[in-house]
Amino acid sequence: MKKIVILFSTAGLIALLFSCNLEKEVDIALPDYNSRYVVECYLEPGKPITLLLTRSAPYFEPFPELNQDFLSKLLVDSAEVSINYNGVDISLENQLIINPLTSKVYNYYSSVIVPFDTIRPFELSITTQDGQTISATTNLLPIVPIDSVVVQFAEEDTLARVLTYITDNPAQHNYYRRTLHESSLDSTAVQDFSVDDRFAEGVLVFGTGFNYAEGDTLIMTIFHIDKPYYDFLESLTGAVGANGNPFAQPSPILSNLEGTAGAIGIFTGLSYDRLMIVVRR
Amino acid sequence: MKYFLSLLLSLPLTVGLAQKNHTLSGLVKDLDNGETLIGATILAPALNLGASSNEYGFFSIALPAEDTVEVVISYVGYQPKSWQFFLRADTVIQAGLSTGVQLEQVVVQANSYREQLSSTEMSVEAVTTREAKLLPVLLGESDILKTIQLKPGIPSGSEGTTGLFVRGGSSDQNLIVLDEAIVYNPNHLFGFFSTFNTDAVKDLKIYKGGFPAQYGGRLSSAIDVKLKEGNNQKFSGSGGIGLIASRLTLEGPIQKGRSSFIVSGRRTYVDIFTRAVNRANVDKEDYTQIPGYFFYDLNTKVNFDLGKKDRLFVSGYFGRDVFSVDDDFFDFNFDWGNATGTARWNHVFSPRLFANTTFTYSDYQYNITNRITGFSFRVGSNIRDANLKSDFYYEPNNQHTIRFGANAAYHQFTVGRLKAGSDDGIISFSAGQDFDGLELGLYFSDEFDVSERFSLNAGLRLSGFQNDSTFYAGLEPRLAARYTLSDRLALKGCYARMYQYLHLVSSAGVALPTDVWYPSTRRVKPQRSDQFALGLSYLLGEQFLLSWETYYKFLDNQLQFVDGAQLFVNDQLEEEFAIGQGEAYGLEFSIEKKQGRLTGWIGYTLALIQLKNFETLLPDGRFAQESEGFGPFSPIYDRRHDLSVVALFEISRRLTATATFVYGSGDLRWLAPGRFTFQDIYGASFEAVVPDYQSRNNYRLPPYHRLDLGLVLRFFPKWGESDLAFSVVNAYDRRNTFFIYLEPEYKEVDGGDGNQISIPTRIAAKQVSLFPILPSVTWNFKF
Repeated sequence: MKKIVILFSTAGLIALLFSCNLEKEVDIALPDYNSRYVVECYLEPGKPITLLLTRSAPYFEPFPELNQDFLSKLLVDSAEVSINYNGVDISLENQLIINPLTSKVYNYYSSVIVPFDTIRPFELSITTQDGQTISATTNLLPIVPIDSVVVQFAEEDTLARVLTYITDNPAQHNYYRRTLHESSLDSTAVQDFSVDDRFAEGVLVFGTGFNYAEGDTLIMTIFHIDKPYYDFLESLTGAVGANGNPFAQPSPILSNLEGTAGAIGIFTGLSYDRLMIVVRR
Repeated sequence: MKYFLSLLLSLPLTVGLAQKNHTLSGLVKDLDNGETLIGATILAPALNLGASSNEYGFFSIALPAEDTVEVVISYVGYQPKSWQFFLRADTVIQAGLSTGVQLEQVVVQANSYREQLSSTEMSVEAVTTREAKLLPVLLGESDILKTIQLKPGIPSGSEGTTGLFVRGGSSDQNLIVLDEAIVYNPNHLFGFFSTFNTDAVKDLKIYKGGFPAQYGGRLSSAIDVKLKEGNNQKFSGSGGIGLIASRLTLEGPIQKGRSSFIVSGRRTYVDIFTRAVNRANVDKEDYTQIPGYFFYDLNTKVNFDLGKKDRLFVSGYFGRDVFSVDDDFFDFNFDWGNATGTARWNHVFSPRLFANTTFTYSDYQYNITNRITGFSFRVGSNIRDANLKSDFYYEPNNQHTIRFGANAAYHQFTVGRLKAGSDDGIISFSAGQDFDGLELGLYFSDEFDVSERFSLNAGLRLSGFQNDSTFYAGLEPRLAARYTLSDRLALKGCYARMYQYLHLVSSAGVALPTDVWYPSTRRVKPQRSDQFALGLSYLLGEQFLLSWETYYKFLDNQLQFVDGAQLFVNDQLEEEFAIGQGEAYGLEFSIEKKQGRLTGWIGYTLALIQLKNFETLLPDGRFAQESEGFGPFSPIYDRRHDLSVVALFEISRRLTATATFVYGSGDLRWLAPGRFTFQDIYGASFEAVVPDYQSRNNYRLPPYHRLDLGLVLRFFPKWGESDLAFSVVNAYDRRNTFFIYLEPEYKEVDGGDGNQISIPTRIAAKQVSLFPILPSVTWNFKF
């Protein structure tokens, strides 16, 4: 019996010794890929109109060097970009905008302030230098206000959770994006996800774990988003998540852009309510 | 249909012609343990008449009245036995065969080549439990379902998994029955092991095409697994101790010769070690617990001879996989498994009419529970069936073997049941759908020897499915024919239409226990297939059987998820479905040797499968043509070439060496050929590399090949037998690809204001493999 135990232990050890180095870098040839235009345009009421136009690239194409040409290699310039609102074409200039507060970059800009109008649509039209067209339409949605924020301390503990309440209109099919930041919006969001309201039953509550101490600052944002933006965000999350996860369903990007260019991206409005609190007992 | 009707009309005539004969019928059994023998040959050589025992061990043969006739009953691995009969009336016998001096070569089931040549059956594969036990396997756990994957036309799923993709069919298109109860998920540990404990299994047979009419409900295969009945002569046991699991089987007579029982259990024990490691590190602050995992199976069966005409069987299976993480902050449990129960009554109405009536119960479920500081989450799905069926086996004479029967199965489905919320109930939401359905089947078939050279098996199955106010019905003709070109060469052909009323909602990735069974509904139509196959079998000498088959299969109402589908917590799951069609065709070749010291087979398959014409279900019930990127495409398991070589060499009575080699074209994967940068809104993280997925399954992995070696060393102690089974899986340490991902590499640069930002510098393709060379040893015993 002792011999059998030794035999089994040895075999187990050999198996363990070999159970390493199961990942390695390989050279693979991906299918041919035609680069596509990528558009990001968020209409934020009260702010000027900005748009980012870039191109996608074959997966293994080298990234541009970080020098003074870095941005020019990433950005697509010389396109004709306009947004039609209320019968008026608002032209966006090909102008590099770097917002030092938000660290966001845009290459098309108009000083026209986005009106808070949830009735009339905004229509995007882009003609690129090679004659391809990109178009999209969106509407601003009404803001869904944060009804209340409740801080609850655990019994016999110094940590609290924070609950954010909103009222959902059960007569509509609504979609929301929730972000939660600690200290400032420049920090990485500790929560950033999209939901639809199919299980809301009139009230939606967004919660945290018992993670926060007295004095912590939290910024809660509830974006009321439309279905195309929701689909876009979900597909984007799916695409990123499926790379490296054999159990996940890969997802092509679901975009609301049309036109001959076959572009991907999103043209949407940003209607949101934001609240900053300091955790107090 | 015309043939079917004329067959019915001709029955009285054929019965009338049979009056000059008497019928010899009964059961063929193993003398040593009382197990019935399936597929034994019953031959009257002087009359050139023959029959074989059916799946219940029953046979029936018409012999001339009042004449001395010699009948020989044989079965591979057993000593043939002959009897002299002088029949004055219909006679019922129980024929016992013994393994005799060939004890070490016992095989549980095998067909002789001659029998295979003369049968109308084609597109059928069988493996013996002997083969399954001898062949080298992953971590020493013998697995009959993995062994069947070495046969042509049955490529396995991803590395190491038991997913079956028969002739281009998906993994849900296999009807897997254990003692006639459906097993919805035949996998343990995400498919690395099957739920079938080889110690408890008597016989496994898989139909890849040419489905007999008694099988229905799945498109691509019928896998019939029969449990042992238990030794009714003496108490005995068997078992094994392996690297990751142990098993024990006990069997014996309840009343000697008349009734018996068998109990078989298996459990893995890796969790015992991981728990000990976790306990030893419990005080370390930075220690992350190793998740606990184990699975277990329990099979039981009792059977009773209730006289010469009746036998009663009751059997059950229960198995679970349990995965858990349990610490102060995170309490996660994930369990899944099957439970089945079978009560079966065999009744011999007359020497020519045998009936099997079965009630089965099947349950498959998964449950996930998770608690994180004040929140809990519970999600699960299940499918539950109760099925009553009766099968009749009627031999009016030696030219006809008629089968008819009916079944009714009631299904209950719970799809995506979710309950989540905070402990105090402030946050609470739930989701899920419940369905039920009634599946019906009625069939008739006749295996008819038209002449000595030509035989037919023609059948018709009428199936139906009721879900709420929706009722579907399908007529499923089945036809198989054999023409003997010479005493060594047989030409065979078959056609089968199949309907499948249940769908497995599975992601495009690897099959998971969380895949959900979904019924046909008003909008989700039943799946349908039409399969044609043509084949030749040639007996080369007395040792080798060569088989060649080609097939074409058309698939309709195939289900896929749309792009960006919401798979979880979705009460409108049907809106995520796309329904399409498919075509599969291929060529299979095999050469097999079953006798002698060296046995084994070589199988090769050339296959192609394509899915196309997908349409999306819209909320209003209409269909929309899907975007161009959706198809046509091949599923991930599209394997163009598949070769397997299996050899078992009995060096001596004590020593058997085995080897298997497999080579297959790489599976397909869905990789993104492009990428883009996504900036997002203020307050959200910048995504430097977002994959741009386009056509489905657009990348073929490198070819898969592997050599496994085994050596079985037997001992014959006084108390019984034992052996040490050594195996080396992946002997030349091939790193086969499980999946590939594309990983950006970043470098930190100064982003101003003292902030460091990460920018991508290059993309690396990383290949992940599951197994290096894996030696193992298992100690098996039998007393």
